[in-house]
Amino acid sequence: MSRGFGWPELQFVLHGLLWTLGLSAVALTAGGVGGMIIALARVSRLRVLRIVAGGYIGLFQGTPVLMQLFLAFFGLAVLTGVQMDAWPAVTLAFTLYAGAFLGEIWRGAIQAVPPEQWEAARALGLRRPATLLRVVLPQAVRLAIPPTVGFLVQLIKSTAVASIIGFVEVTRAGQLMVNVTFRPMLVYPLVALLYFAVCWPVSLLSGRLERRLDARGSGSPRR
Amino acid sequence: MERRNLLAGGGAAGFLFAAATGPASAQTPGLSTLDRIQRDKKVRITAEVDSPPFGIIGSDGQPDGSEIATARQLAKDLGAELEFVQVSATQRIPALLAGRADIAVSSLSITTDRAKTVAFCAPHGALSIVICGPKKTAIAGPADMAGKRIALTRATLEEATVPKAAPKGTELVFFDDIGPTIQALLSGQVDAAGMSAFAAKSVADRNPDAGIEVKFTVTTAYYGAAVRQADESLRHWIDTWVFVNTHNGVLAAIYEKYTGVKLPPLPTI
Amino acid sequence: MGYVFQFGVVWEHLPELLAGALLTLRLSVGAFVLGLLLAVLLTYARGYGSRAVRGPVVAYIEFMRNTPLLVQLFVLYFSLPAIGVRLGANQAALLGLALNFAAYGAEILRGGMQAVPVGQIEAANALGLRRWRVFRHVVLMPALRVAYPALASQFVLMMLGSSVVSAISATDLTAVTNTLQSTTFRGFEFYFVATGIYLAMALAARAGLDVAYRWLFPPLLRLRSA
Repeated sequence: MSRGFGWPELQFVLHGLLWTLGLSAVALTAGGVGGMIIALARVSRLRVLRIVAGGYIGLFQGTPVLMQLFLAFFGLAVLTGVQMDAWPAVTLAFTLYAGAFLGEIWRGAIQAVPPEQWEAARALGLRRPATLLRVVLPQAVRLAIPPTVGFLVQLIKSTAVASIIGFVEVTRAGQLMVNVTFRPMLVYPLVALLYFAVCWPVSLLSGRLERRLDARGSGSPRR
Repeated sequence: MERRNLLAGGGAAGFLFAAATGPASAQTPGLSTLDRIQRDKKVRITAEVDSPPFGIIGSDGQPDGSEIATARQLAKDLGAELEFVQVSATQRIPALLAGRADIAVSSLSITTDRAKTVAFCAPHGALSIVICGPKKTAIAGPADMAGKRIALTRATLEEATVPKAAPKGTELVFFDDIGPTIQALLSGQVDAAGMSAFAAKSVADRNPDAGIEVKFTVTTAYYGAAVRQADESLRHWIDTWVFVNTHNGVLAAIYEKYTGVKLPPLPTI
Repeated sequence: MGYVFQFGVVWEHLPELLAGALLTLRLSVGAFVLGLLLAVLLTYARGYGSRAVRGPVVAYIEFMRNTPLLVQLFVLYFSLPAIGVRLGANQAALLGLALNFAAYGAEILRGGMQAVPVGQIEAANALGLRRWRVFRHVVLMPALRVAYPALASQFVLMMLGSSVVSAISATDLTAVTNTLQSTTFRGFEFYFVATGIYLAMALAARAGLDVAYRWLFPPLLRLRSA
């Protein structure tokens, strides 16, 4: 009756890894759009926009992602009457979470662009949106790339939390396979290795980008 | 992150709180859940997949187990495509309440406490809750639990009953799923665990080396499908379905296949 | 669905929630202290150790930073007993958080150490100070000062991240919330209030750490940190 840990079980865990990667990719993309809006709101001249965006960041960086997940999973349906399946609810939660962190990283990058650049552009007769789009953002993007790649590691790791509400990504898949094979000493380290195999290259890339940026002589943006 | 942001975050939380305590959600008017299932030909049923023998992941990677088979039969007779909503033990009822699932079929024991929140259909199975542990753990009755570490799963019948039976000095530890409870038992993190007799048997069978045995029975109960309280017509339909499938032997066959025990006579609700 | 909110039941159980919050706080502070000590050792080993020491230290730091805390906790709690190491849930949680924090702390301290001018270290060496004393007074303390804001942020991140210890049956705020929601079925209300408690704790920790900064590193001597 006992089941060993063989190819079908490994396949199940690897399938979970795909969900981890898919969830991270969607959260990064959608959260990137949200984060851009948040970052722009944070450097806006409108005080109310700055406060709202700041509140959003504070709320999502000041509470556990697990709680955000619980609330998205069970709270939204209750609050709005919109019934959400697991995938959209989990995606939404991680998108909001990623949006807050990326918004803050990118705000830092935008503000790290020296104020002289703004002044010079204005002296040349450029309007604010044009200055932002054509002068500041291109420089900010360069500053923002290393910490953004660094955040991707944090995001991938944080999706493990989705396992707690029963979403079958790689951690949950590993847990389910421990339940049928009873080989925790094998399966959990394997799951850890899988995360490492995904995250470490991303970390290395982030570090390399950061050093290259430093080498070019511009300070890294405030985080 | 700046402190200002955090403070503003507090403000945002206050706003959300005001929104949350305001007038509750608008209901979708008109269609009952049963109507909707028939119109869309789709039904969403909870699947708890780390709870042997009721629900596990089979070697083909798909859910399997007695409650999974029951859910499949139910969907088939509804004429609807089945979508499993995978849940942990703690999320069986919340998933139903949040509208993520239409029906909970996850060995939910029928209790008066739960019935305050969800509506139970007629039972389609019976289980008993036992304390089980390795041979070296000396427990013969509830009193012997004193000084022992006992694992329980949240939101289960064992969580509702074992603490009442436990004497002072019992150390109870809680997990969100039956899976981790079993892992804690097998890894020796706890002296014993509370779970269904079937789960205990399947753990013992699959891990002969661990020498897991049943120490004593805490309680027995019947379990059934549950729906939201407003879904009267769906509940009636499931009651009828249970009635028909009790008489034609389908439920007994499923139960016997997975538990290895004959289905006892089931009372009506 | 017509869900009716009942926050009254939350207030009845407030003492339990606060007890959970207290454990969250104790775990976080304990892990911070233990983790920081370990981080200093790791940083010293990485900076002054032989090649045979540096390799494993770097591997440890990289591994801990590139795998989820939840999985690390699973290994500590469910896997280690297989080789005879048995920790209680709260002990495993404390150890897991500390080991995890140590890796981040070491990385942050390394960044802080790079801010210490090489000339300063050479001067101390020239004075004939022992290596550990040079490390402690000339490298570590200024590095800690520079790294403090990052360490403080990491502390808040860890405190919030500690919510996953409930998965190995530690009885922190999240675990208490889960238990209460499963016995009262008022999940939304409890998660909502628990989230508020976490936010308040994050706010308080921030404020407390700011005050501690001013106390530990008086303004007269404070370096400009970016």
